Amino acid sequence: MGMALTKVEVLPNGLTLAVEERPWSPTVAMRLLLPVGVVTDPEGMEGAAGLLEGWLWKGAGGRDARALADAFDGLGVQRASASGLEHTAFAAQFLAEKLRPVLALYADVLMRPHLPEEALEPVRQAALQQWAAMEDQPSKKMFVALRRAVFRSPHGRNPDGERAGLERATARALREDFARRYAPRGAVLAMVGGVRFEEAKEAVEEALGDWRGEGVAHPPVELSPPHALHIEQNTAQVQIGLAYPDVTLTHPEFYTARLAVQVLSGGSSSRLFTEVREKRGLVYSVSATPNGVKGYSYLRVYAGTTPERADETLRVLQEEIARLSEGVTEGELQRTKVGLRAALVMQDESSRHRAASMARDLFMLGRVRPLDEIEARIAEVDLPRVNRYLAEHPYRNPWVATLGPRRLVLQ
Amino acid sequence: MTQTKSLEFKEAVLPNGLTVIAEANPEARSVALGYFCKTGSRDEPPEMAGVSHFLEHMLFKGSERRGALEVNLEFDRMGAQYNAFTSEENTVYYGAVLPEFALDLLELWTDLMRPALRPEDFETEKKVILEEIALYEDRPQAMLLDWGRARYFRGHPLGNSVLGTRSSIGGLSREQMAAYHAQRYVPSNLVLALAGRVDWERVLDRVGVLTAAWPRGEALRSYPEPSLATGELREAYPKATQAYIAVFAPGVSAQDPRRYAAQVLALILGEEGNSRLHWALTDKGLVESVGAGMDEADRAGLFYVYVQTALENEERVRDTLRFELERLEREGVRAEELERAKNKLATSLAFAGETPMQRLMSVGLGYTYNRTYEPLQEVARKIAALTLEEVNALLEEKPFSRSFFYTLAPA
Repeated sequence: MGMALTKVEVLPNGLTLAVEERPWSPTVAMRLLLPVGVVTDPEGMEGAAGLLEGWLWKGAGGRDARALADAFDGLGVQRASASGLEHTAFAAQFLAEKLRPVLALYADVLMRPHLPEEALEPVRQAALQQWAAMEDQPSKKMFVALRRAVFRSPHGRNPDGERAGLERATARALREDFARRYAPRGAVLAMVGGVRFEEAKEAVEEALGDWRGEGVAHPPVELSPPHALHIEQNTAQVQIGLAYPDVTLTHPEFYTARLAVQVLSGGSSSRLFTEVREKRGLVYSVSATPNGVKGYSYLRVYAGTTPERADETLRVLQEEIARLSEGVTEGELQRTKVGLRAALVMQDESSRHRAASMARDLFMLGRVRPLDEIEARIAEVDLPRVNRYLAEHPYRNPWVATLGPRRLVLQ
Repeated sequence: MTQTKSLEFKEAVLPNGLTVIAEANPEARSVALGYFCKTGSRDEPPEMAGVSHFLEHMLFKGSERRGALEVNLEFDRMGAQYNAFTSEENTVYYGAVLPEFALDLLELWTDLMRPALRPEDFETEKKVILEEIALYEDRPQAMLLDWGRARYFRGHPLGNSVLGTRSSIGGLSREQMAAYHAQRYVPSNLVLALAGRVDWERVLDRVGVLTAAWPRGEALRSYPEPSLATGELREAYPKATQAYIAVFAPGVSAQDPRRYAAQVLALILGEEGNSRLHWALTDKGLVESVGAGMDEADRAGLFYVYVQTALENEERVRDTLRFELERLEREGVRAEELERAKNKLATSLAFAGETPMQRLMSVGLGYTYNRTYEPLQEVARKIAALTLEEVNALLEEKPFSRSFFYTLAPA
């Protein structure tokens, strides 16, 4: 494991290129991450990043929208793109021999989009519908409220934007925003597959070498004090979300915390699944997953249950999380280590997954962690270290969001 | 695909009737294996609606030899990535591990096929299933296809709900489930499939010993002639805030050699990013999302389209769908549309061999329906050889003239 080394270079225009060579592979999985998300949407234009991402495909270079889509399809590109809280991501999978023409098409989209006036309204209508559809997705709606409760900075915004912001954004303001934010500096391009680094670099410089721009820095993270909120809605299940402060990827005890959280919610023998679902049958879904933004991490806890059992569910959740500070057992630690190692190997088998985690590492850390480094860091965590860490850093004082027919009893 | 050179297909039928198959790839870094049981909601009597899916949950509660918590611990000790699902026609248990745990995983899955169905576990898990039903009640986009299929198939078992209802699950007894299990989980109705780094000889020896005492039998499936609904039906979903529209039309079965042509036709109709419905609906800003597919079932099949849209667009979206389906039948598919779809499929097939887990699903389900193995190159060859005449021949049967439109909206 960890045989393939990732080569990384920041090109003269500020774009970071990362390539993991798999010479035996006939394909390339690519991921371009631009730091353009709702966190940097201009004040009053929340949702602009999403509008831009939709608008980009309405024609670029010498092609209108249809010709552009046909050109991608003609090359057999499997593509997806979406904007979110912190980024806009472009993912593509294609045969390695198509690398140059594929990059040329992306260069048109990123550097020479038409952004035609008449196509903006349909893009806006689709975005407004996506925003409104949250009403029919109770868990998503609850999590949007929870994140808003955690952050005072724009990190608390709804990744789908806001109705007023989506309605207000004019073509002119969006074009200005595009010129300001779509830039090579701070952007990350990751490739995994049958391409050599030098070959990839040459092709990227040819296609994107003239791309210029400084982009926009992300705002500093500001938190609200922990508090609880409830959204009253007539749902069959109550949605329960908690966010506990956690350590970030750069913290020396990051892997220690990761292992501890796996004990809480890693596999089906984890504590939450055992206590909440297996023993009591309180839920279908329960989980605790590391989450966060660049510069701040939290542990995101979720359960969905029917109203008459919601108080008990919340109580058991909070008890289990509090009990974690008393430490874990050797058996629990061993299982989580085996599980994390297996997950690393199996995720790495998929080039698409690998490209996504490389891009994410570069955004969060400024470098790509080799798999054997992760494996070594996990291996060196022993029981005294986990238990000392948990005693000194108990998960407590969460932000709490609930959605359902009535308010719950908080401990 | 350099890696596929070393692929080898293995197949054996044990004296008890259990079929074992494997696509061995000595270069893989993991191994995936699981049981494919040819049973699902279509095989359930109405008063036992949901028993297949409930039984799938109960298998994880253990056998005479191990209890539920022990089962969870064992999976986690191997670092297994595993799960199960139930559909109208299949119940599939699947997992992947590093090669050193392959025989342990085999032993565990095999033991779980003979569940203890302990009464106390049955009652606890019933609550979990009722939570799962409540979860979907809050998601109109999920209920659209569930209810829509029921109305479309008009009493034919392919319209049976996988989850069942509160009352069918509430009224189900442990004895009914045990009888259903005895009937359906006979060796001749199961396939054990493996993919990746497989040690075929050892697996075969081991599974022979483990299953020697399994009672034999024959599980039958009935194939009544469907009398499909046509026309339109609109039903109220008071909790919804958006409109949800589905279209169903006769497709081709999993046994039908025309299924590749039908899959390509569904892509041309509704693929995200570049398809008939993309340009008619998404590009115009009329919908939040639209998709289409072809569900290949056992001796039956259906084309489906699903749309989510704002209430004010509902009429216009249905009109557009009618117009586009009619136009597709009238004009047929164009040569360049077929070429683009084939190009994209070629790329996705080039990626489809990356992980043993992906291969397990494809090899296992393919075998369940056709009792044959199709290597990826063979699928790729068939797709590449598709002609315009073959795709348009499907339209000459006028499937979309027999469409059924089903809508869920708040009132």
